[in-house]
Amino acid sequence: MTVHPTVWVDEARPAAAPRRGALRRMLARNAPGYLFLAPWLIGFFGLTLGPALVSLYLSFTNYDLLRAPDWVGAANYVRIATDDPKFAAAMRVTFTYVVLSVPLKLVFALAVAMAFNRGIRGLTVYRAIFYLPSLLGGSVAIAVLWRQLFASDGLVNMLLWKAFGFEGPSWVSNPDYSLYTLVVLSIWQFGSPMIIFLAGLRQIPTDMYEAAEIDGASKTRQFFKITLPLLTPVVFFNVVIQTIEAFKAFTPAFIISEGTGGPINSTLFYTLYLYQEAFGFFRMGYAAALAWILLVIIALFTAFSFLSARYWVHYDD
Amino acid sequence: MSITLNRRSVLCGGAAALSLAAFGGGPAWAQAARLRFLWWGSQERADRTFKAIEAYKGVASDVSITGEFAGWSDYWPRLATQVAGRNAPDLIQMDYRYIFEYARRGALKPLDDYLDKSLNIADFGQMNIDSGRVDGKLYGVNLGVNSSIVLYDEAAWEKAGVEPPKPGMTWEAFAEKGAALSAKKTKPGFYASADASGVEPALENWLRQQGKALFTADGALGFGPEDAAKWFAMWAEMRKSGACVPADVQALDQLNIETNPLTTGKAATAFAHSNQYIGYQKLNKSRLGVSSYPKVSAESPSGHYLKPSMLISVANGSAHADAAVAFANFLVANPTGVEILGVERGVPASESMRNGLAPKLNDLDSVMVKYIADITPGVGALPPPPPPGAGELAFALKRVAEEVGFGRATPEAGGEKLVREAQTILKRG
Repeated sequence: MTVHPTVWVDEARPAAAPRRGALRRMLARNAPGYLFLAPWLIGFFGLTLGPALVSLYLSFTNYDLLRAPDWVGAANYVRIATDDPKFAAAMRVTFTYVVLSVPLKLVFALAVAMAFNRGIRGLTVYRAIFYLPSLLGGSVAIAVLWRQLFASDGLVNMLLWKAFGFEGPSWVSNPDYSLYTLVVLSIWQFGSPMIIFLAGLRQIPTDMYEAAEIDGASKTRQFFKITLPLLTPVVFFNVVIQTIEAFKAFTPAFIISEGTGGPINSTLFYTLYLYQEAFGFFRMGYAAALAWILLVIIALFTAFSFLSARYWVHYDD
Repeated sequence: MSITLNRRSVLCGGAAALSLAAFGGGPAWAQAARLRFLWWGSQERADRTFKAIEAYKGVASDVSITGEFAGWSDYWPRLATQVAGRNAPDLIQMDYRYIFEYARRGALKPLDDYLDKSLNIADFGQMNIDSGRVDGKLYGVNLGVNSSIVLYDEAAWEKAGVEPPKPGMTWEAFAEKGAALSAKKTKPGFYASADASGVEPALENWLRQQGKALFTADGALGFGPEDAAKWFAMWAEMRKSGACVPADVQALDQLNIETNPLTTGKAATAFAHSNQYIGYQKLNKSRLGVSSYPKVSAESPSGHYLKPSMLISVANGSAHADAAVAFANFLVANPTGVEILGVERGVPASESMRNGLAPKLNDLDSVMVKYIADITPGVGALPPPPPPGAGELAFALKRVAEEVGFGRATPEAGGEKLVREAQTILKRG
């Protein structure tokens, strides 16, 4: 079917207001396009931008859901910055999580992708199996499973006992280790970066490796001189996406600690703290302020990634 | 039979439906009330409540009630968002801690005008009626009477040959006997008691035995750092002697029946609410015994009080408030409704209902009813209304208790810290 662009040219006053006329012509020409975009536009303005702006307003108020918001200026932000030990604890937990889980997960994903890239039989099956945890990862069932695995009489301790005669602690409920069980959970969900790495590895021309082989370059040297440089755009993409994901992590901590962030705030992720303030103690205004600070942190980090990209990301062209 | 629809008949039907919707329906619909009832609780509670709703059709056939339920922690966000969205359920299950906040913010309907008309709760006794009052007005109807309780695994204590907790036992004796049970090592990783140092009702009971409270009548903190330090020190002793579970076992307890060390087979004793007895017994294979809390000294008061385990309130602005009150009355003052709910929400406050129910109770239910009857002579007054922000104290207590439990803070430092944090919480409201 051929689509004829509808042209509703306003011929009445073309010269009188040329700029307005041009604008109207453009709008008119694009009207069908906007019409098709309407569902998304309505969604964007009504469900994303609108609520976001309301949340910005609420962050300057005290709002307990039941009574009308009460304007307090920057008081929420001042309190967060100067007088909130839980905010500091949540930042510490979240940054530890991001700094540990993102690199470890990516290294693991890359290693598995490289193994797959050597061409093994039944690759699609393995790929699907290794991708599964990513699909399940955010789910409540997995978080509950994790609780069982890492409890004092869980499977992990049973294996440790059988293999090494080592009596492990209750990993999930000990403040020294609980966060690391969540880091392990995150690493286990390496599927989606792995798939992307695999696609990236496939893009690297094999003649480069052949040439390197003839020149006598070792496998390690090939990895650092060919694979890694040519893969940097994919690495960059994965780092940005995974970091944003890690900052936003919520479900595992919520389930493992039943929403308390315990023991002793050791799994008090930023998003969990925000949720507690909003829905546990009904301080919506304060929670909105926390949310905007998280947005700024993620935006700053992403901007930094993009600015640094030109020093280490190699694009072919 | 086939129905042929042409464009005109569809249009007519549509117009008819529209006009009905616009004018609120014809006379036949005028009395029909559709109510929504939101509560928290287990599947057991849901089954009983839906059965009561079904039975209510026999009382008022023109009222249809839709029930919704959630777990405790999901319940409050859901209720708050519905109230904020002007979409509050007509009937709201309320908690003594939250009723003050909701009533004072105008979310609940005062029920005084219904008293002795469609709401017949005169035989609840003054105390059980007043537990639903805020600033002199009645905002909630007591759905069941409750108190704190000690639950213990009878077989485990017997097997160790140690005398189990019993009413009037001192904390000192409890700790001693607990250590004796744990020392027997009847099975690996098994202790006499859960660690209740982070459990708010346990601390409250202990404070009340000494004439103190969590909060004073004017909303200030009712205890000092030295009290909290003594409390933490007492549990630290028990942790050391093995009378209670170690900190990393206690940390797995999310303060519900399913994760309590008693249920998970790590401890022989739990500190709970009396209406939870039925739930605990369902999840525990061996028979559970009941006792009141240990005491600071033989002469001290029991520290217990009768608390509404939950209340039922009507939303302010409900279009069918009269029908909602009538249903609430059915649940607490109609033998059919009371019998269906049983004592799962606590013991009925109404004396006549309680007496009518007694012969129909099974063993478990009777144990609980007897427990409440036994402690009633020794109970103290209901504590004053908790100040705004009080809900956060339970979180702070759990965390500080964990810090002491894991050895990150001494009992003295923990006491200081808890009081400091509690005061910040109260100041913030």
